[in-house]
Amino acid sequence: MKIVVAAMLALLLSWSGAVAGAEVSLSIQEAKARHAARILALPGVVSVGIGRDAQGREVIVIGLDRARPDTQARLPAELEGYRVRVQVIGAVKAQ
Amino acid sequence: MAHDLDTVRAALAASRARLQPQAHVVATGVGYKTTRGARTDVLSIVCSVTEKMPLSSLAPRDRVPAAIDGIPTDVVATGVIRALQSRTARHRPAPGGVSIGHRAITAGTLGCLVRKGAQVFILSNNHVLANSNDARRGDAILQPGPHDGGRFPDDHIAELEDFVPISFAEPPSECGFARGLIALLNAGCRAITSNTRYRVVSIQPVGNRVDAAIARPLQPGLVKDEILEIGKISGPGSASLGTAIRKSGRTTGLTSGEVQQVDVDVNVQYGPGRLALFTDQLLAGPMSQGGDSGSAVLDGSNRLIGLLFAGSENSTIINRIEHVFSGLGVTL
Repeated sequence: MKIVVAAMLALLLSWSGAVAGAEVSLSIQEAKARHAARILALPGVVSVGIGRDAQGREVIVIGLDRARPDTQARLPAELEGYRVRVQVIGAVKAQ
Repeated sequence: MAHDLDTVRAALAASRARLQPQAHVVATGVGYKTTRGARTDVLSIVCSVTEKMPLSSLAPRDRVPAAIDGIPTDVVATGVIRALQSRTARHRPAPGGVSIGHRAITAGTLGCLVRKGAQVFILSNNHVLANSNDARRGDAILQPGPHDGGRFPDDHIAELEDFVPISFAEPPSECGFARGLIALLNAGCRAITSNTRYRVVSIQPVGNRVDAAIARPLQPGLVKDEILEIGKISGPGSASLGTAIRKSGRTTGLTSGEVQQVDVDVNVQYGPGRLALFTDQLLAGPMSQGGDSGSAVLDGSNRLIGLLFAGSENSTIINRIEHVFSGLGVTL
């Protein structure tokens, strides 16, 4: 089962990579929109948004419910050329 | 030895940080010392405590010393000090920032007033005023909310007018029972040589933009067009990355923060196993807790930029006010 999932993920990643290579650059909003659903489906991912890093550059921010080494290992460092930052924000609940 | 006022003030300023963290000290100030019920002419550092306790029952670090830098102290029992206007109390007229709720929920926050034509409405969340879709137009809205002692009909302030339904996601179908059931059904189909087969699907969640609802006050005079500790809203605004924001809510009162993320897709829990996806949200640092839902969020110029509805240990999630207004067909 795990092997099947890994193979499907590899296929998905290579496919999205191929698409990225074939296109001119996307806006960060478009880059986020293209990948958000897939990333949100990973275990423990609660949010995907656009923020800034310490240098003021726009980055794609992925929020986790807690430290998730397995999920973190599967998250890319970049999406469509935009840097990705991962941060633990906790489970989000209606207040 | 008598000290002048400036000397005592300086001593207090230097020692305040040391006195206030003590659990039972609720206030410190300068005043004349009272000895055996009579006011003396001696200036002292007055420590107000919740209740007087025998020294022997206090840890040494919790004891107020008899003198600080040679200036006498005076310990006065004042009880717990509360803000004059408790946000969980009954308010008439009720401003933004106080407890409110549908009669079947616990309590949330009255955000602010909005308009549809000439009619004024209370704005808050769907899960505060409409019990997370489980409500009908005309349902009783209580101020304070039921958790804060609001009862029908005494605290009935408004009737539910309208809400934007929240689309909840079906939990991913990983349960063995469902799969077993489907296998059984498919075996049945094969047995009767039908070409039909059943499949377990997880329903594609639809992105929500707002958790919002409005309620019609029973009388216009029951509500007040301002927000506790913030005042009047100057107009509608729009937030972007880095916008400084404030909110006034039932549980944590007036708090401030900054928009750290925009264009946020986020999965929000509504009780155990109930999840809803929200898109195009604003994310700020921690500035809210349970019961603050429904708070109006304003920028530094008191422009209304959002409606607070969810959060985690390290975040606060806010609907953009543009989407709230278009979803409900209201304005300020």
